[in-house]
Amino acid sequence: MHTLPLAWVLGASIAYLALLFTVASWADRRAASGRSVIGNPWVYTLSIGVYCTAWTYFGSVGRAASSGLWFLPIYLGPTLAMLLAWSLLRKMVRIAHTQRITSIADFVASRYGKSRALAVLVTLIALVGILPYVALQLKAIASGLTVLTGTHGAAGAPWWQDSTLAIALLLAGFTIAFGTRHLDASERHEGMVAAIALESVVKLLAFLAIGAFVAWGMFEGPADVFARAAADPALAPLLRLTGSTGGDARFAGGQWFALTLLAALSLLFLPRQFQVMVVELVDERHLRRASWAFPLYLLLINLFVLPIALGGLLHFGRGAADPETFVLSLPLSQGASWFALLAFVGGLSAATGMVIVEAIAVSTMVCNDLVMPWVLRARPGRDLSRWPLPVRRAVIVLLLLLGYLYFRIAGEAYALVSIGLISFAAVAQFAPALIGGMYWKGATRAGALAGLLAGFALWTWTLLLPSIAKSGWLPQGFLADGPFGIALLRPEQLFGLAGLDNLTHALLWSLLANIGLFVAVSLARAPSAREMRQALRFVDVFHHEGQGAAPGHMRWHATDPLAELRQLAARFLGADAAARMFADYAQRSGAGRVERIEPDAQLVRHVETQLAGAIGSASAHAVVATVVEEESLGPADLLRMLDEASQVRALNRQLEGLDRLKDDFISSVTHELRTPLTSIRAFAELMRDDPDMPAEQRQEFIGLVVAETERLSRLVNQVLDMAKMEAGHGQWRREAVDLRELIEHALQTTSELFRERGAIVTVQQPDQVPSLMADRDRLLQVLINLLSNAAKFVPKGSGRVLVTLSTDAKGATIEVQDNGPGVPPEQQQLVFEKFRQGGDASNRPQGTGLGLPISRKIVEHFGGRMWLKSAPGQGACFGFELPWMHETPGDPS
Amino acid sequence: MRTAPTRRARLLGLAALGAVGFNFPLITLWDRAVTWFGLPLMTLALFAGWAVLIGAAAWIVERGDARDEDDDG
Repeated sequence: MHTLPLAWVLGASIAYLALLFTVASWADRRAASGRSVIGNPWVYTLSIGVYCTAWTYFGSVGRAASSGLWFLPIYLGPTLAMLLAWSLLRKMVRIAHTQRITSIADFVASRYGKSRALAVLVTLIALVGILPYVALQLKAIASGLTVLTGTHGAAGAPWWQDSTLAIALLLAGFTIAFGTRHLDASERHEGMVAAIALESVVKLLAFLAIGAFVAWGMFEGPADVFARAAADPALAPLLRLTGSTGGDARFAGGQWFALTLLAALSLLFLPRQFQVMVVELVDERHLRRASWAFPLYLLLINLFVLPIALGGLLHFGRGAADPETFVLSLPLSQGASWFALLAFVGGLSAATGMVIVEAIAVSTMVCNDLVMPWVLRARPGRDLSRWPLPVRRAVIVLLLLLGYLYFRIAGEAYALVSIGLISFAAVAQFAPALIGGMYWKGATRAGALAGLLAGFALWTWTLLLPSIAKSGWLPQGFLADGPFGIALLRPEQLFGLAGLDNLTHALLWSLLANIGLFVAVSLARAPSAREMRQALRFVDVFHHEGQGAAPGHMRWHATDPLAELRQLAARFLGADAAARMFADYAQRSGAGRVERIEPDAQLVRHVETQLAGAIGSASAHAVVATVVEEESLGPADLLRMLDEASQVRALNRQLEGLDRLKDDFISSVTHELRTPLTSIRAFAELMRDDPDMPAEQRQEFIGLVVAETERLSRLVNQVLDMAKMEAGHGQWRREAVDLRELIEHALQTTSELFRERGAIVTVQQPDQVPSLMADRDRLLQVLINLLSNAAKFVPKGSGRVLVTLSTDAKGATIEVQDNGPGVPPEQQQLVFEKFRQGGDASNRPQGTGLGLPISRKIVEHFGGRMWLKSAPGQGACFGFELPWMHETPGDPS
Repeated sequence: MRTAPTRRARLLGLAALGAVGFNFPLITLWDRAVTWFGLPLMTLALFAGWAVLIGAAAWIVERGDARDEDDDG
């Protein structure tokens, strides 16, 4: 048989890895400049293709060669799972994104009240569970290399000459270069996703090419392969379900079902799948296309599995060559060495993709949930932002070395697919706690812990230990007679349960115990308040959006909580990143400057979620708790928990809102009401006490009382108006508004005011203005408000007011410029606040202090913005802009 | 007025159909020593059924008319 020189194979492999690296750097640069290449449903779908590893590429052919169609459940399961993507997966994604969850350990821990114990347990299960899977990739590449070059690296050579170890270390180095170049608090790796998508294309095309080569190059099409196989009595059973599993004439429906279920769960819960499908997802809508396009990818990559397997068996005969390397040995047997090299690169692609993403995902978990919490306790008060990257790199090397160790211990005795299934069964243990936690509010931390522990223990006993025992690393008789001769504990016939294959047997026991304990222990005790709060955030994620944490009352341990939180963030994120984060927050919360940030529940939550990206949610919660006490449940939270009915919840939310408004109203309005009331009372008392008051003075006083009363009723009306708007109960209409006509109407209404002050109003506007969709009466209110403001402030007798209307593609802008005293810079921010009026007390004109805030609310309701420009001595210029069309939420149109 | 069934509900139905169709005992219906166009029936049935499932999912997802509200998943 032909072979290739080792140097060529290595050269091609390294060149291919370098290409991947280039693509990743390019995608990272594009992302940095805001032109992401992965924001696309096709790229997303291809990145999920990381599901297809060396298992698919080499193992499936091996499986098909020994048991026919039984390689298929591994792909039918994920197909069914993806059909649930729009419900189950979308919910996972929504939860993960709102809670800033970055790994599967984080997800489980966060759901059950940010439990540190659960985070550790899930991380350990993932780490141990995934080792066989990593070993599978190493084994596949190593045996591929052996076939391709004709050399035997592993057999008999001392470990330092073992090519598999070299491959493991090379992959570790590559993964480190790939995924741990810098720390991103959101754990997103755009470059990696782009490279994985490319790998998916390469492995699919390579596999299809091999398939076509075998089917049409070596035979006369697939039908020919099948016809020849059917004619061969040794191969004919492979084309049927019954009889293809080693002489058993009945179809093992239970095993078929178990494999399908296992594969479906693995698609969702393997650490790397969680990474690409949930953490790296840019846009939820991509799930829609992926829900059919990913199954299509699976279908395509499986099309030629059976033809290749049968073709290999027909060509070499049974037992003459290892079916797992048919994709390489078939082209080699035809002298097509370059084609075999292409096939090897495809297989390398499949294996490296898995190793890279899995190692990055697992190293993130180990770092965030195992190492950082420990470092945190061991080195209190230090700058820890330098820790995560080296830790992650070390974990990646460790993971591959452990994978290599498993390969040495158990790898030789098993087929690729069987090794992979051991890992699948391990991650399937996450299903009860995770899916249960997403739909069942009664699930508790204790239940999840009990279920996971039992499931993991049974998995170890019934699947992991036997895999090691079969290679001779455990005493003979451990499998056949049970440990210490106790037959009931035989790992593969636990409690005497016989008649199942070892995988179905293990899955049955582990999931049974897992689900049973999860449910039973959860039912034994009601969830704590903390568990319940997280339960609501998870289960009702689609109902609670935008609401965030109801700002409960915080009890601070610290005297200067803001400073402490900033210090904390700097410790974990680094000084620069922390400064950026607080500056961002100040901008978004409206505080403007970092020093002016209100240290409230929202801030705490923000800091906590940012930290969660770097050190995991459980650690972040613990760290933040050193500054602030557990946010106590507000009455709103309690009500939400008690009332299941969403209608009641909605009413409660309205009540909460009204309650807040009431408080606002009382505190600010009392003061405003008192001033006119006092003067009304004073004048009334004067008139009562002095019956002989001259008629004209009495008349003057009554006039003042009337004016004050008018001001009072105006105030009350505006307060009500404001309250309605803030509670979202304002009546809004949408109609085409002619802005020219609007200005004319407003000027007419205010003409008397300007005439009294002797002011001249000029209007500048285009001849043609498109109409704008808004509420005409409300806009009129805004305009009249601005005009009457101008009228109040212009100098008597020499007032000049300029109204300009201008338009562009986006919308229209109206500005009202006066030549009054202007607004001093320190007051410009205040004029839009409630009950703050411009001017000092002496020359403050009569007004309610609500006109501008209301106007601004109206403009903002229609998607616009209002501003004040005023330079000293240049008068004031109030203006606002409105977009032509604006979708207003909750609009009754 | 009749409202269109949600995309979510349709996909759930399809998943249920697939789960039943690709499992014991229905799957054994195709397990016969028959060939169609030279391809064994069992293999053909699995891949064709799979393709039909994918086609139906694409049809449900890519058409614009199904309501797409934020219902609880």
